[in-house]
Amino acid sequence: MHVEQQQQIVNNAKKAEKKRRRCLAIIKSDCDVSPSDTPTIYLAILNVGLSNGLTEERLLEAAAQTGGSISEVAMLAGKSYCFLVCSTLEDSQLVFTGMHNVATIGQLGAVAYLSYVQALPALAGKSEWNKPLPSGLIVLPDFVSEAEEETLLKSIADDGRSHEGTLKHRKVKHFGYEFLYGSNNVDPTRPLDQPVPSACDFLWPRVGNFSSSWDWSKPDQLTVNEYEPGHGIPPHVDTHSAFFDPILSLSLQSDVVMDFRRGETQVQVKLPRRSLLIMSGEARYDWTHCIKPKHIDVVPTPTGSLTTQVRSKRTSLTFRRLRRGCCNCSYPTLCDSQQSKVPQELSTTLADQAVSLEQQNVHEVYDKIANHFSETRHTPWPQVAQFLDGFDTASVVLDVGCGNGKYLGCNAHVLAIGCDRSQGLLAVGRQRGQHLFRCDCLNVPVRSSSIDGCISIAVIHHLASAERRLGALREMARVLRPGGRALVYVWAKEQRRNDKKSAYLRQNKAVNKERTTEQVQRQKQQQQMEKQPQDHVALPVHTNRTEFQQQDVLVPWKTKDEQRTTFLRYYHVFEEQELEKLVAQLPEIELKRSYYDQGNHCVIFERKIQPRP
Amino acid sequence: MKLSTYNFLTSMAIKGVKVGFPLKLTISKKELVETEFNPTFVERLLPKLDWSAVYGAAQVAELAEDIPAVQPESIADNEQLLQKLHHLLFEIDVLEGQLECPETGRIFPITDGIPNMLLNEDEV
Repeated sequence: MHVEQQQQIVNNAKKAEKKRRRCLAIIKSDCDVSPSDTPTIYLAILNVGLSNGLTEERLLEAAAQTGGSISEVAMLAGKSYCFLVCSTLEDSQLVFTGMHNVATIGQLGAVAYLSYVQALPALAGKSEWNKPLPSGLIVLPDFVSEAEEETLLKSIADDGRSHEGTLKHRKVKHFGYEFLYGSNNVDPTRPLDQPVPSACDFLWPRVGNFSSSWDWSKPDQLTVNEYEPGHGIPPHVDTHSAFFDPILSLSLQSDVVMDFRRGETQVQVKLPRRSLLIMSGEARYDWTHCIKPKHIDVVPTPTGSLTTQVRSKRTSLTFRRLRRGCCNCSYPTLCDSQQSKVPQELSTTLADQAVSLEQQNVHEVYDKIANHFSETRHTPWPQVAQFLDGFDTASVVLDVGCGNGKYLGCNAHVLAIGCDRSQGLLAVGRQRGQHLFRCDCLNVPVRSSSIDGCISIAVIHHLASAERRLGALREMARVLRPGGRALVYVWAKEQRRNDKKSAYLRQNKAVNKERTTEQVQRQKQQQQMEKQPQDHVALPVHTNRTEFQQQDVLVPWKTKDEQRTTFLRYYHVFEEQELEKLVAQLPEIELKRSYYDQGNHCVIFERKIQPRP
Repeated sequence: MKLSTYNFLTSMAIKGVKVGFPLKLTISKKELVETEFNPTFVERLLPKLDWSAVYGAAQVAELAEDIPAVQPESIADNEQLLQKLHHLLFEIDVLEGQLECPETGRIFPITDGIPNMLLNEDEV
């Protein structure tokens, strides 16, 4: 028995030492802080920190019990370790012996491990909290009294409706107008039976000092969000065209931390219970805001350090005024009105610059990315393969813009010939023994009326004017024999059908898991791209795996090599019916079918037997 | 480039060119690639081909004695000719050479087996 106990002690010490070394390695790589074999005034608490629920109070309490005096605490956000600075070496030794493998301040009473370290990490003290607030952001503490809080909560609960909408991470209820989460907008033609409760009326005179500069004096829409601990709301900006400036939000029942973000800049703001948050100007239009779904918030202490605060149930009342028109703010990045506008001049300029734009932002790019691009294009789209399967033995099929020729081998019973502009891509197809030649889709060097079938998959959306896109279709029509059929795919502006995301959007894992939003990704993209010079008309740079904001865009392609060079490809993404309208302009062909397939608009047309005179 | 592909190519996109067919073929380097012979395939393909260009290609490939100058009325039973056509159209791979527009003399080079039919902006 005695031997077993001794063994147990040895094992515990071994376990502690192993754990200690592992934690030290993490701290070393995280913040470049090295352990010290001899005592120093700096102590690392190796295995407990803000991320696993330690509060500054709890830590100081445990340290005080050792008799050692502490001069500074460094709690780091999101870390499972923290640091203490002791007044003297003696204090430090007292704290070390009194806490290491003794103090049960870890999760579920786990013991803390300590180590002397050579210094505090450089990051300590530079928290998110010392940054200035976004411009236009105001938090008014104690905006309502506890009695008023109770009245407000009662008035929103007592209208006979339960919380009708339960979103993934919270419950919602709307007054005045319903906020529609699918379109992120309201329908101004369909007011709800329940207006904003009159019990809220006492709020508006109170904001009087501020409201002189606002677009409105009384809101007509209220969204009530009920958050249980662990609930949150993904990063978003309130749709510009839906609501005027500002947005007001009253926090009831408990505090929470809200994260604001603009590009790479992040600011955390504590919203105390019974405070009013005013988001106006830049804060309303150009910053996204979110509440992270977690149980514990990290908040600053009066001494400038950080501590944790357990969340409890919180209700927020967000008051807004419907805009009923377009937004013309001076913050276009997140502005739905300005992003979707296609100025007439743009298409004229594009038409003028089409040849050189396509040369630089299509042909040259494909030649540079040919091999990497080809690696990502291997599986034929099923509906294209199905179209090709429909041809009889010894039919002649031409693939206009065949790329690496992935469709040329789909049907072994036809003579499939491919053409493309990109030498790099043709070389890949050539290695696979395919029939190829190089040309432009506007001048296909093929005998008229000689081809049984034609496909052009994801090609003509690279042409920079409607005239040229039509020209490419005219060439396909010309080479088809009477009765011959063509299938054309183009990228759709709309990447969602029946509320289902296309494969392209579905691959945006960060958004799908609600780790971020498209708006945040677009802001980041915008900042990265500001450095890229553009020789042509300024086109917006699209953010991959997000919905298209405009029809004429540059789509980044990042190479896989070490340089991670970003190339920009020009695309004209098609609106619904746009491709059909082009087909209708050619009297020699007849539209047989049009459909939507995974974010693409597609048409099948036939060369008429008797061309119209 | 296989000679079946050659049968479809034209230079008609050049400004002022009316027919641009058949292109004048020159072979400077070729390779024989054995491929599976399917008589039905060749027979059904023939109506889609231009015989004068088939015969022209045979002459350049030095296979003129295999191919009649005029397209025979019926070919279905002539497996020997089908075999020879298969060889001409699918087994001769032109690696280097050129195609020349019969009307303007514009040269389209064939490099690494791929004819470059791309025209300059001012040619169309």
